Amino acid sequence: MASALSDSRVSAEHIPVKLVIAGPFGVGKTTIVGALSEIKPLNTEEVLTQAGTLVDDLTGVNEKTTTTTAIDFGRLTLPGVVLYLFGAPGQTRFQVLWDELVRGALGVLVLADTRRIDESFAVLDLVENAGIRYAVAVNHFPDSPDYPLESVRQALDLDPRTPLMVCDARDPASARASLIALVEHVRELVLS
Amino acid sequence: MTSGRQRRRVVPDYMAAARLTVPEHISVQRTTLVYIAPDAATNGLDPPGSHLLALLRDGPLSVYECAAHLGLPYCVVRLLVAGLVGGGTLLTRDPPATDLPDIEILELVLNGLRAL
Ligand SMILES: Nc1nc2c(ncn2[C@@H]2O[C@H](COP(=O)(O)OP(=O)(O)O)[C@@H](O)[C@H]2O)c(=O)[nH]1
Ligand SMILES: [Mg+2]
Repeated sequence: MASALSDSRVSAEHIPVKLVIAGPFGVGKTTIVGALSEIKPLNTEEVLTQAGTLVDDLTGVNEKTTTTTAIDFGRLTLPGVVLYLFGAPGQTRFQVLWDELVRGALGVLVLADTRRIDESFAVLDLVENAGIRYAVAVNHFPDSPDYPLESVRQALDLDPRTPLMVCDARDPASARASLIALVEHVRELVLS
Repeated sequence: MTSGRQRRRVVPDYMAAARLTVPEHISVQRTTLVYIAPDAATNGLDPPGSHLLALLRDGPLSVYECAAHLGLPYCVVRLLVAGLVGGGTLLTRDPPATDLPDIEILELVLNGLRAL
């Protein structure tokens, strides 16, 4: 809490903008939120019922047991806007939380790992079902096989217009380049 | 981690301790910016309301940041904020409501990211 009080603050004139970073466990979500965030990334809990429903009206919840899922949270203040980054696992059993997280978001950066490409399918299903704009960044690990991006695009069955790039989640410049590619894509979609 | 059963009992207690009633319709979201109303009476609140106000003394924060710093789940802090907004202690800056992002916002984001 002490660190919070010495944090830089945004002004109430900043427009809050939400960006979601999604991908399976171990893909680099916590790392990329840390690389982009101006504050020490925060870890918060979302409370859900076992059925996957969000607990948002606590007085109305009766005897269902609850479960929690951790979210990485970071902030990046830019002139006029403040970006809020939400790193979320994108599990299909948390569909309701997912729908709420992406609602109103500018877009989703999906992180993929070519060592376990099939683990990205669930996340892509969620993103596409939600109808939210997205880009895909492939994090390269020392033992990643060297597939050309075109074959990754095929394996993930991505639209030819969906941005797909290689990213090093530990490197702020690389992380920013991925966000820029996502936002440029969203701008093209909005303008078309 | 407390059990769900405990948590549910705790939450209404928070609201009662802070002498807050939960408004029927809540527009508070994770990225809603909250700050103290200029003319608000900020004393006399019990925890966690008083903790929240101490946190906001330095300026606005998103509801999600407040939750993380208070160590409370978002769903709890959302209700707490809504109660304090209803009572006139806090003001909010809501995120844009549109589904399709505004082109001016997109330009601000792009220019800002490129300038870093
Ligand atoms: N080589 C490499 N390692 C990464 C990259 N992103 C994350 N890592 C490492 O992979 C591990 C898991 O990353 P983490 O961010 O915790 O994944 P999360 O489960 O998605 O949050 C950590 O040890 C990171 O340092 C990347 O782009 N390249
Ligand atoms: Mg993580």
